[in-house]
Amino acid sequence: MNKHRILEHPVLGKLANQKEMTFTFDGKKYIGYEGDTIASALLANGIRKLRVHEETGTPRGIYCNIGHCFECRVTVDGKPGVRACLTEINRNMVIESGKQHSTPFKPTDNEVDLPRTYSEFENIYKEEKEG
Amino acid sequence: MDKVIICRCEEVDLEEIKETISKYQCSAREIKLRTRAGMGYCGGRTCRPALNAIVAEISGEKLRHEIPLKIQPPIRPVSLGKIGG
Amino acid sequence: MYDVLIIGAGPAGLSAAIACREWNLSVLVIDEFPKPGGRLLGQLHEEPDGKWWNGIEEAKILLEKAKQLNTEIRCSISAHHIEKNDHGFNVYTNEGVFEADNLLIATGAAETPAPLPGWTLPGVMSIGAAQVMTNVHRVRVGNKGIVVGVNVLSVAIAREMQLAGIDLQCMALPALNPVTADYGNPVKVMEGLLRIAHLAPSAAIRFGSSFLKGDGAKDLAVKFFPKSGVKMWGMPIHLRKAVTRINGKNQVESVTICDISAKGEIIPGSEKTVEVDFVCIAGGLYPLAELAAVIGCPFQYIEELGGHIPVHNEQMETPVEGLFVAGNITGIESGKVARAQGTLAGLSIANRVIGTDGQLENQIQQAKMNVKTIRENATIQFHPGIEKGRNQMEETFYNILHG
Repeated sequence: MNKHRILEHPVLGKLANQKEMTFTFDGKKYIGYEGDTIASALLANGIRKLRVHEETGTPRGIYCNIGHCFECRVTVDGKPGVRACLTEINRNMVIESGKQHSTPFKPTDNEVDLPRTYSEFENIYKEEKEG
Repeated sequence: MDKVIICRCEEVDLEEIKETISKYQCSAREIKLRTRAGMGYCGGRTCRPALNAIVAEISGEKLRHEIPLKIQPPIRPVSLGKIGG
Repeated sequence: MYDVLIIGAGPAGLSAAIACREWNLSVLVIDEFPKPGGRLLGQLHEEPDGKWWNGIEEAKILLEKAKQLNTEIRCSISAHHIEKNDHGFNVYTNEGVFEADNLLIATGAAETPAPLPGWTLPGVMSIGAAQVMTNVHRVRVGNKGIVVGVNVLSVAIAREMQLAGIDLQCMALPALNPVTADYGNPVKVMEGLLRIAHLAPSAAIRFGSSFLKGDGAKDLAVKFFPKSGVKMWGMPIHLRKAVTRINGKNQVESVTICDISAKGEIIPGSEKTVEVDFVCIAGGLYPLAELAAVIGCPFQYIEELGGHIPVHNEQMETPVEGLFVAGNITGIESGKVARAQGTLAGLSIANRVIGTDGQLENQIQQAKMNVKTIRENATIQFHPGIEKGRNQMEETFYNILHG
């Protein structure tokens, strides 16, 4: 767990006497330090991928680390949409990564191509009109 | 490079935004409505300056004083229960 | 019901809270981050006099003072909407609605992106994200990385990462696209570098800052910029190399880097792959003024200040009655300026609440002078035209009020 910690620092000094805390991420147990955010505790354990894009499934991790971008959102003790970068870990916290949704509104290969935006709608409409 | 994603939340790429701008000569707001760029989970906080820059470059117009992509509440995602109070 | 609610517990918000508490106002400070201190928390740089500016210590000093004055500071609270009512404001948050007669928005700045193919991969983060991870959480963002985007902020943070023992391959520019037109242009980037030349202890970057005053000289400097980059604290800074894409399947595995012309155009056939496990993207900062916008405060676009700024006067007052702003929301400057602005805003608010016979006038004048002095002596300047931008804002405020 300390492999990725900055334990010694020439100006900020030593990182010592940290209290350990166990939590789970996607069912696996990890140890973080008290005061860690979910994002920092997971990164300290070498974990970068926190969710996948709900529609496309592309992997995502922390981006801004201060709550602006919402890229690091995870599910915490059953509550979805929690920013990993702003939420401190608790003992026995249960964290789940964000998963890809089966999206009935989005076109997939074998489904009807429903428009996602107004311009898509326009294109489909035009194509149909032009036959 | 045209396939570079500009809006991370909605995965809208530069090509789609450029094409929409040249087709409709549109503002950042209209791009948002047509492509969903800037309309995702983060509320446009991440891509807003990028969208403004793309519109400015293609239209050749300088940024005006009013904010191009109107900011609307809630500026953080809120559950309906919370809004209802 | 509070006399004043302050959004943002950074240098501006905390200093304002202290000033208000010294005049015995009822104050609530809220912040989204679990710890107070704002972006002071990550800052760590050596000043030209050899002393360290340690943001964590500076935040501690402010917090200690705020504590002595029994200031209520609540973290992990996000404001999502504000309404103006007939006597003040309703502030809607994840912890309920707060009411206050006066409101100070000190929400700082957000980062401007420099989008590149592959920048959504885990392992790609903004330069500010790396700063917080390194200095606040004390976690290494990776084993070997690259900083894309060369500016005042990214050079300072690259140095901080280096201090923490993180291996940075180099700093390079982002490949040109409509969004990166400025940060991908070597001449424009050179202008920025010259403004921080005095901070480089190795003198390497000062290689010609004395003869680089004219525009022509700048172009020449870019043209003859060493192929291997110049080294600042032993780390190569490239102005003639750009990252064209970030590669990886589930996370960052490498970047593709190319040689570029003095104008930023990619030189065909110069493509190279560099293995890295993290990438820091540095576009720059823009004032984060969303909450001022939802209240209906007028805005002014001022490039020198970093973007769209809520209109305000020298006392940090906006045209919306009872609404004040301080810190980076008023223009991108250093934390020291933000701190001084916070004190000034706090005094202005106290003046509105209690000051009838001008008892705060002297203090306000002094605080105003202090902001100016600190601005003039700033070691890190984000934009050379800051003073011009500030003057433009003053004029705008006057025109709005006196039509």
